[in-house]
Amino acid sequence: MKFTSSKTALLKAIMIAQDIISSRNTLSILSNVLLETANNLLTIKATDLSVSFETQITVDTVEAGSTTIYCDKLLGILRSLPEGEIEIDQLDSQVVIRPLFQKIDFHLRSISSEKYPEMKICDEQLYFTVSSRDLIAMIDQTIFSVSDDTTRYFLNGVYLENGGNGLVMVATDGRRLSYMNRIIEEELPSFKPVIIPPKFLNLIKKLCAQDTQLELAIHDNFIFARFDTHKISSTLIDGKFPNYRRVVPEKQHFQCIIDREMFLEALKRVSLLVEQKSKRLFIEISNEHVRLSSEESEIGKAEEEIPCEYYGEPITLAINYNYALNPLKVIHEERVSISFTEPNRAITLGPFPEKDYFHIIMPMQLD
Amino acid sequence: MPWYFHIDLDAFYASVEQLDHPQLRGRAVIVGGANSSRGVVSACSYEARAFGVHSAMPIFKARSLCPEGHYMPVRMQRYQQVSEHIMSIFDRYSPHVQQISIDEAFLDMSGTQSLMGPVEEVAARIQQHIIDEVGLTASIGIATNKYIAKMASDRNKPCGICFVPSGGEYDFITETPLPKLWGIGKQGIMALHSKHIHTVQQLRAYSLSWLQRNFGQASGAFYHTAVRGEDPGIFSAVTKSRSVSNETTLEENTTDEQLLKGLFHQLAHHVMFRLMKNGLIAQTIGIKYKLSTFVTRTAQCTPAKTIYSAEEVFSYAWELFTQRWDHQSPIRLIGISLSSIEERSEPLQDELFFDTYQRKHEVEKTVLQLRSKGNKIMKASDLLYDRHHIQRHKDS
Repeated sequence: MKFTSSKTALLKAIMIAQDIISSRNTLSILSNVLLETANNLLTIKATDLSVSFETQITVDTVEAGSTTIYCDKLLGILRSLPEGEIEIDQLDSQVVIRPLFQKIDFHLRSISSEKYPEMKICDEQLYFTVSSRDLIAMIDQTIFSVSDDTTRYFLNGVYLENGGNGLVMVATDGRRLSYMNRIIEEELPSFKPVIIPPKFLNLIKKLCAQDTQLELAIHDNFIFARFDTHKISSTLIDGKFPNYRRVVPEKQHFQCIIDREMFLEALKRVSLLVEQKSKRLFIEISNEHVRLSSEESEIGKAEEEIPCEYYGEPITLAINYNYALNPLKVIHEERVSISFTEPNRAITLGPFPEKDYFHIIMPMQLD
Repeated sequence: MPWYFHIDLDAFYASVEQLDHPQLRGRAVIVGGANSSRGVVSACSYEARAFGVHSAMPIFKARSLCPEGHYMPVRMQRYQQVSEHIMSIFDRYSPHVQQISIDEAFLDMSGTQSLMGPVEEVAARIQQHIIDEVGLTASIGIATNKYIAKMASDRNKPCGICFVPSGGEYDFITETPLPKLWGIGKQGIMALHSKHIHTVQQLRAYSLSWLQRNFGQASGAFYHTAVRGEDPGIFSAVTKSRSVSNETTLEENTTDEQLLKGLFHQLAHHVMFRLMKNGLIAQTIGIKYKLSTFVTRTAQCTPAKTIYSAEEVFSYAWELFTQRWDHQSPIRLIGISLSSIEERSEPLQDELFFDTYQRKHEVEKTVLQLRSKGNKIMKASDLLYDRHHIQRHKDS
């Protein structure tokens, strides 16, 4: 195997590969990246056994072939090299990396690509098209609610289903829930609801440009995505997602409307003095204003009032401030609404007027 | 004038055994390691101490020092029962009883003299009261602060009273050997020795800033206060961080996963029930395990949600353990601890979905209530696991 490539293009692809490879693994073939060249194309593959990534860049193939080398060191080498063309050449069980026209020589031990785990392939017919704009909007609106509690592994991913009326994405950690139902112009196949690991969705977010067409497929216990020159696949989380419909309040008695930007800024300020263990923030809602306050602690306290539109009885709610902060950062509408019935029942935070997503927050005890 | 009693029961577990088994009175009784030479001595009678046996000594060593001794199994529930009885006696003498372990407590006796008479006389009355009602002896330390009282109770053991008059704290501390200074551990002593400090007088000669520079902020301040006979605040009622833990040495080293699972399950219930009994909940779960090679490992996690069921403690502890243990190395000891304890019985953050642990919490609360009424139910899932070959040796 031998090829020459622009350093910049190769470095970009190897950086993504290294992101996939789990650094926690002890050194093994899974720490390696697979390089395969033929017909002036270089295919790069990386996997952590759960998520797999494959991409192609144009190179000058001198001699077709494939190999695997330690990705972390390859990345380090590429970063250190000056801009320009580099040559990668397999010599016995080593790979030589050198910039053209310079006396720099790196030798990396290689492992035969035959020992590399096979990439999952999906039946062509199962792919369906979604605009990346829609998919990324759904990821953004939900992914932060995913639980990282591994004893509740079935909450460690984003739930995706064909809701009959477009795609539905839901994520929850058991105390707050984010929901989005986006109507998709393209036709959707029917598929069983799945729980997708966040690593897969983050990769799409990172690599996929807005406004491209993205192809998705779900088969067996895998999800596949392809766009541009990239292919990503991931195992799905095998478990039963809780029945989220049961916790979405059908009707809430009161609604308070606030300017999103003001709410977000006030929240950031007041949260500076919120007790960091419980993260409990008090929200007092009255006809004149919404008052955000922290509990008085050894350090001190903070409070801020912001105007609102509200016509009910004055009420005080207590929530984990992050559960409001995360959604407010991804809601782009000018105004948001807080809907509720009682201080100890679920609160809904969403854009005003309503759109195709909302966030449900379970309150904290007031005392 | 503030007055504090520190009351410490003499060789508590061993004395309870002698109380319940009259034939053992006057003999060397060692609690822990019945039918085995594993684990450590939980407690031993004064007769056994004459042979050089002391608590926390490995059983095999105790057996070689005192082969004639009577080795008894640990009967925690019985000790707990006796302890509760004794604590109820204390309640009759002071409105402020601070129990600090199963066999010791502080009594705030400030302002009780006009009602009950001189403190020394009251102490003698309490001592006699425990002997009459329970049949056990206790040693009492009397001082104007808890720190001195704690060390005073140790002075004239067993069945002694040590009265440190107001103003006598300084002299009392001066006479105390450095290793007997409460709150200085083995590591602390070693650190002090490395600076050529061997007595309380030597330690007292250093300035606060020097002590803090050399031993750290907290330890430095502690030494500075303690050697002046003032209370460094170890036993102040509001402690910043507390923890509850329990560990068990296995009868035989094991790699049997089912057995270990059962033990973790039992430990989880033990620690969680102790919390629940006091209306507390915890945030952090820790585990500890010791391999046959005596290599000890610990790990902990703080789940985002509050832990309020023993089953939940078990599931986190088991996960922490199985993630780290290689499933091959024989295990000698395991333990569970709960920390970041909060004074509330229900979690601050409500759950969106009905949590299965919520139901378990309710069941556990009921079991706890039944148990406090003398019922023998331990836990509903008791039958699931093999509970043989278990010996609990430490309860800290």
